[in-house]
Parts: sequence; C-alpha cells; structure tokens
Amino acid sequence: MTFKRIATIVILSITLVGAIPFISQAERDPLASEKPETALSMKVDTKKLSGINLFIARMYNEDRVLYATTVTLVMAVLGTTLAFITDLVLKALGLEVSKISHRE
Amino acid sequence: MNIINIHLPVAGIEFSAVLLVLIGFCVGVLGGFFGVGGGWMITPALNIFGFHMAFAIGTPLANIFGQSIGAVRKHHRMGNIDWKLGLVSIVTSVFGVEIGSRVIIAMEKAGDVGVIVRWCYIFLLSVLGVYMMYDYFVIHPRLVKLAEDEAANGARSGTARVMTISDKLHRINIPPMISFPASGVEGVSLWVILIVFLVTGFLSGFMGVGGGFIILPVLVYLIGLPTTIAVGTSLVTVLFTAAYGCFTYALKGRVEVLAAFIMLIGASVGAQIGATAVKYIKGYGIRLLFAIMVILAGFSVLTEQFYKTSGKPLFQTLAGITLMGTALAMSVMIIGRLVIEERKNRVKAE
Repeated sequence: MTFKRIATIVILSITLVGAIPFISQAERDPLASEKPETALSMKVDTKKLSGINLFIARMYNEDRVLYATTVTLVMAVLGTTLAFITDLVLKALGLEVSKISHRE
Repeated sequence: MNIINIHLPVAGIEFSAVLLVLIGFCVGVLGGFFGVGGGWMITPALNIFGFHMAFAIGTPLANIFGQSIGAVRKHHRMGNIDWKLGLVSIVTSVFGVEIGSRVIIAMEKAGDVGVIVRWCYIFLLSVLGVYMMYDYFVIHPRLVKLAEDEAANGARSGTARVMTISDKLHRINIPPMISFPASGVEGVSLWVILIVFLVTGFLSGFMGVGGGFIILPVLVYLIGLPTTIAVGTSLVTVLFTAAYGCFTYALKGRVEVLAAFIMLIGASVGAQIGATAVKYIKGYGIRLLFAIMVILAGFSVLTEQFYKTSGKPLFQTLAGITLMGTALAMSVMIIGRLVIEERKNRVKAE
C-alpha cells in the first residue's frame, strides 16, 4: 500500500466523518453549542423510565458497588461471547488464525 | 434524520445506536490491529456528539475492556504475546502511573495544568510520529539495501546491521540481566526495562491516557520487539488497565453501561477483524499506519488546544472530525488489506 493511497483514504474519510454531524444530528445540532447536552448528575431521574432502563437506573442510584461489579462482569462476559461468535464467523469465511511468523 | 435513537438512562440523553456501533467498530479494528485501547478517539467523539465529558471518559474504558478480551485471546493464538514482558510492564508501569498522577495533582494546586499536558501530548505524538516515519522511509530502506548488497556480495545473511536505539540499550551491561525468549530478546539489563516502563507509566499518569499508543513504539524501538509481538503484548497491558479503569469509573458513576454495551457489539467484531489482519500485514506496514495515526492524533490535540485558547467551537469540531476520520480511514485500509490478502491466498491455493 503506497503512502499516496493511504493519504487519499485518510483525507476522504476525514471529509466523510465531517459530514456525519450535519447528516445525522441536524435536528439538535450539538456542534453549534459549546456546552455538552447534559449536566452530570449523580442520581438518575427514574420517573419516565421503564424496563431495562429503569433496572439500570435503579441499580445506579441505589448500589454503586453492585453497579460497578455488574458493568465489569457484563463487559467481560459480553466481550468474550461476541469475540467467540465473531471468531466462528471469521473461521467460516476462511479467516482462521494460527501461529504466525514475525516478519518485519 | 436521526438513526435509531435510543435513550441512555445514566447519561440521560438520546443517542444514535448506529453511531455507537460504528464508533465501537472502528475503535475495535484499531485496538485489535495496533494493540491500543483507543480511548483517545472515543472520548472526543462521544463528547462532540453530545456526551458529558465525565461519561465520555469513563464509558470507553468499559468498552475497551470488553473488546480487548477477544483480541488478546486471538493474539495469544497467533503467538503474538510475550506474557513475561507484559507482566513486567504492567507491574512497573503502575509505579510510573502513580508518580505521574501525583505530579499532576501537585501541579494542579499551582494552577491550570491542562495547557502543559496538552503541549506534552502534542510534542510526544509529533516526536513519535516523525521518528516512525523516519524509520519507515530512511532506516528501513537502508537496512534492506544493506541486506541486498550482502546477498549480492555473497556475504552471510543477517550480518547487515544498522545500530538502532534498542541495540544501544541492549549493550548496557548492568546486572541483573533478563531475557524474553518469546520476543527474541536475549540478555537486556533489568534496570533498562524498569526505567523504560517507569517512564512509560509516568507519561500515562501525567497525561491521563491508557498508554497503548506509548507502549507499542516503546516495545518496538526501545526493547526491540518484532512489531506483531509488540502489538499483542501492548494489548495485555491495555486489557488490565482498562479492566481496572472500567470498575473504578463505574464505581464513581461515570460509566453509561447501555452505551458501552452497544459500542461493544461493534468493537468485539472490529477487534477480531483487526487482530486477524495482523496476520497479513508486515511489521513495517503496521508501523507506517501507526505513525500516520499518531501524527493525525497530534494534529487533533493541537486543534483542541486552539479551541481552548480561542474559544471557537469550530476548532473542537475539527479535532473530533480529524480523529474520527483517521479512525475510519485506518479501519477501511486494514479491512481492505485483509480482504485483498485473503483473496490472494485463495487464488494461490487454487
């Protein structure tokens, strides 16, 4: 891959990403504002929440240690599971990995 | 046009799920391929698209932790991880991080240290990027030419040498000496290893970054690891620091779990693809892409600095767009190369 080709792809991608905010977020246009949209609150307002959102918000409000442990465990389990599934798909596509030679 | 907006209960905002998956995917590809976490990219991206900065820092750590598990497993299967060196780097870096963070806290009492940190960041990224470019365009061709000359003159192969930084460090004979057989590093002073990782940790703590982008060049240029082993070993460090970061930030209420969960869907797939691509791209190819990424990241921090001094939001937007654009470009190139090489292999096999 030549340096010129890499430079072209980088410039095109930066232009493309530059267009994303104007395409997908046009209604609220967060780029127009210097301030982030939300203020940081240590308690979540649960009045309008239901289902899984309510479950998460309650855990966040009531037991932060449980919340931190759950987040860490969920990330570990989900990361492992998704990696395993992706691995199977890649294998099916012929992209199996084994020991490689460390060439420079 | 809002693309599948969902409500994020902890951050209290509406956010595009597709954008989260896309950000996660790009970071996953880069993480698996370069052995970095990618927090430097996700944090400004989330912040620009509407996340409060506190969540924009904590949430990526949860995502990086999840994506790194699969990537580490894959690199381990490819023989890309030096566990002994990884362990030494983690333990030593912890002390460095502690010293770095204490220095920052002490400096904060004296005034705003943000400017100093940002300029350090810009300087470090620029030096790293420029040196890696120099290595790719000057040192590497010189090595190749030497090897070709030797081959033409019938000399023994492997005698061509250009003194690199790691060669010089390996010559320091202060006992005790330590070896890392998995990396092909035979006999290097333990003091050199400790000082190198102490400084690396210090920089991570001082600049408040995970350190993946510092560890990779350190392993390659200072310790002398083959690039692919440096990628895998760097990922081990990223995995452990991100696991700790995930827990501690969640404890402080700074992780938006639903966003991390959705990003992880893209990131896990991306990390597997990125790690697989290492099999097909030569070490120097990885170094060139990394150098370009580091220079553009430096440019992004520079524009962020302009934003802080001028107050014009355009600079902040430009910084985010540069980072995201770079990440997207790198992901496209890595996946493209993976597909091309795999096709070539199939044609050969047929």
